[in-house]
Amino acid sequence: MYDCLIIGGGLAGLTCGIKCAKEGLRTAIISGGINSLHFSSGSIDLMGYSADKNIIHNPFKHIKSIKRKNPQHPYAKIPVKTIEESITFLTDELKSEKLLFYNNSGKNHFRITAIGATKPTYLSQESVFNEQLDLALKNNTRISILNFEGFRDYYQEFAFSNLKKNSLFNKLNISSGSIKLSFLPDTKKHLLESNSIDIARLFETEKYLPRISEEIKKAAGDSTIITLPAFIGLNNYNKIHKRLLELTGLQIYEIPTLPPSILGMRIDNALKSRFSSLGGEFIAGDKAAGGEIYNHRVTHIYTENYTEATHHAKYYVLSTGSFLSGGLQSGFNKMYEPVFNLQFNWSRKRNKWYSDNFFSAESHPFLSFGVNTNAALHPYDKDGNVIDNLYCIGAVLSDYDPVREASGGGVAVSTACYAAQKIINGIKG
Amino acid sequence: MIKLQNISFDHCIKCTICNVYCPVARVSLFPGPKQSGPDTERFRIKSPELVDSTLKLCSNCKRCEIACPSNVKIADIIQEAKWKYLKRRWFRPRDLILSRTDLMGKFATLFNSIVNFFTRRSIVKFFLYLFIGIPYQKTLPEYENGTFEKHFYKNYPDQNKFPDHVVFFHGCFVNYNNHKLGRDLVKVLNSLNVGVNLVKEKCCGVPLIANGYINKAKKNAQYNINSLSEIHEKSNFKIVSTSSSCTYALKNEYSNLLNLDNSAISNEIEYITKFIYDRFESGNIFKMKPVPLRAAYHSPCHLERLGGVIYTIDLLKRIPGLDLVILHSECCGIAGTYGFKKEYYKLSQDIGKDLFRSIETANPEIVITDCETCALQIEMNTQFKVLHPVNILAMAVKE
Ligand SMILES: Cc1cc2nc3c(=O)[nH]c(=O)nc-3n(C[C@H](O)[C@H](O)[C@H](O)COP(=O)(O)OP(=O)(O)OC[C@H]3O[C@@H](n4cnc5c(N)ncnc54)[C@H](O)[C@@H]3O)c2cc1C
Ligand code: SF4
Ligand code: SF4
Repeated sequence: MYDCLIIGGGLAGLTCGIKCAKEGLRTAIISGGINSLHFSSGSIDLMGYSADKNIIHNPFKHIKSIKRKNPQHPYAKIPVKTIEESITFLTDELKSEKLLFYNNSGKNHFRITAIGATKPTYLSQESVFNEQLDLALKNNTRISILNFEGFRDYYQEFAFSNLKKNSLFNKLNISSGSIKLSFLPDTKKHLLESNSIDIARLFETEKYLPRISEEIKKAAGDSTIITLPAFIGLNNYNKIHKRLLELTGLQIYEIPTLPPSILGMRIDNALKSRFSSLGGEFIAGDKAAGGEIYNHRVTHIYTENYTEATHHAKYYVLSTGSFLSGGLQSGFNKMYEPVFNLQFNWSRKRNKWYSDNFFSAESHPFLSFGVNTNAALHPYDKDGNVIDNLYCIGAVLSDYDPVREASGGGVAVSTACYAAQKIINGIKG
Repeated sequence: MIKLQNISFDHCIKCTICNVYCPVARVSLFPGPKQSGPDTERFRIKSPELVDSTLKLCSNCKRCEIACPSNVKIADIIQEAKWKYLKRRWFRPRDLILSRTDLMGKFATLFNSIVNFFTRRSIVKFFLYLFIGIPYQKTLPEYENGTFEKHFYKNYPDQNKFPDHVVFFHGCFVNYNNHKLGRDLVKVLNSLNVGVNLVKEKCCGVPLIANGYINKAKKNAQYNINSLSEIHEKSNFKIVSTSSSCTYALKNEYSNLLNLDNSAISNEIEYITKFIYDRFESGNIFKMKPVPLRAAYHSPCHLERLGGVIYTIDLLKRIPGLDLVILHSECCGIAGTYGFKKEYYKLSQDIGKDLFRSIETANPEIVITDCETCALQIEMNTQFKVLHPVNILAMAVKE
């Protein structure tokens, strides 16, 4: 019998798990399939754009206004103070795993995407953005956008030309260049066939750092700052980054690539390692297939591999993510939440699910579909009854659009901490 | 024509995440699960001549399937493609020896001292390498005197006296190579007031599948399904196994890969630590004495795929005195018979290198793992003895 059983180990589930385990609760996470951190930028967005598409500089101020304008929004259900504390909690937990994050003293900063666009975000890894870079951007600095020649999951020419057009960077002297290393020395894989993880592993061996540094210096020309696609190591990134700085004498920053996202995987690794070092139990390889609800309470859940009642807990948390992760599912003309068949906010007309233009500034309606909860994040069963010992957190929730608002990470972390605190109070009385 | 049940490749969203978790792609030119699985499956269906021989490099560890967000049965697709499209010589003595674990076992347990004497000799190892391609660095598993089945019926005639019962699918390893594990299982289950029963069984088929002997694998699978469902129907006993790979095959591969109907038994089969965990949770715990050992625990790939690692760890954590280090989950490289082939030997060692290093760093007295071939691989590559969780539980039983 667990105190807390969490279904889905993404940013939301892991954060909730860490908080519960830290308080000594017997906590387990069951998670089949990887989470969306593997696709993410590795920066944590809090609130980047307003409903009228303006860039938000002060996210907490804006979140306060959401409470009035959109009471169904997950942020409207959580005290602002809890949201602030949850971001600090995450930063501290990641720091104890030596993954360091920058925040712009309570304000948003910009992260650069794989194609050289800029997006407002709240937390970025120190190798992506820090004070030094902030300073450099304000001065006439020479910066070079580099890639390994042949690596196909990152388009530095594209990034380069977009950054040149960006008014944020008009003080900078931007150039682009290629690092020449036609195959990976260890496995002899050609760069054309490699993805970010292969190159991250090359860095990870450390053996080739001097050689790579020489090539980087050649490609950098007279720039003092360079950017690389984000693959400076998956585990030893701090050490490798430092070594590269020493060997090249340059400032080096990372820009996210197409998936697999090394930056996101660093967060994933750090959170999982933190969770297990706090005594949490992580079940990978199996999925929750369903659960039994009796008298407004979940009595047990069962899994794909073990179809009998297998897991019992005092509290359950559903953090199975959105459509991509399988937390929400769609058929030809219906949408549903597959584990408990919870009440679900969606449009019955299929043509109202998406916008015609894929990159529409209006985003897509389906991104706001999801499980409906009360103010305490308890969902409703199909007859409309509140389920008292189940909480829903993260991307499985409805009434917010992580893409249009740039709010995914913040909603995941704050709903996680909010639910965790309620569970801790419930167990400790 | 595309068979409808075979379209899981079409769920692939091309995210490349599986490649991150493939231990073979990490150390070799293997293009990775995405390319070898869903990407090229659509081409193979139309033009079988497009098959790429690097398919062989996949060790069927199933780590890609654990990672895939879209539930693509990547490893199953690759195994099926291997035997459907790759040309094989019909006479492959090495593969035959490696895959017919039951035949070899029956023979070797009759003359075990002679067989063990010979397989230990370096000259024999050299000839095995030369003629059939088993790497001479490998130590072949030793054989017992007689089968576990025989010993069981002779030494445990009183199993009827217990109120509860299970069927024990012992598998080849317990039957021919590791009687101690079988005896320890009986000891542990009996201490929980559970009696042990055996039925007629054949090799679960895992090594046959890995080596492409599909018809034989199907025959064995059907035999096991019949025999296990017959006793289950009569008695309603659960079926337990001490091998994570046998469990995975009986539960999932019989239907997913061999297209057989195993629905009568698939929910009744449990890997042993899950079964014991359920007893413990319901309050049925035997009295324990301390096992003062420092141990490193390695979780096998197929138990990861079953989602069963957590139960083993939970049981081990309950044993007083056991100082447990849980190793980071990674493939040991042997993948059943894979590491016993000279063409994959180096690969298999490269895959396991990180694990061997982390075992040395953990500095234990013993290593614990659930899988018989992981145990062989670790014993060959570190100086530690490897035990099964059931061995440790048996040490903890206070009589
Ligand atoms: C492509 C993409 C990029 C993004 N980039 C960013 C970004 O850069 N910054 C940002 O702040 N936000 C980003 N987001 C938003 C993102 O949704 C959130 O930040 C956050 O990661 C969501 O976390 P989660 O834990 O709710 O869900 P997920 O991370 O999706 O995790 C859900 C987990 O549950 C598992 N699961 C599903 N069903 C079951 C089941 N039945 N049983 C067991 N396990 C199950 C899944 O396999 C998965 O591991 C991005 C989203 C996507 C889709
Ligand atoms: S992880 Fe699954 S969905 Fe992603 S590329 Fe591999 S098979 Fe396709
Ligand atoms: S089964 Fe293992 S070796 Fe084969 S493709 Fe998947 S991860 Fe790679």
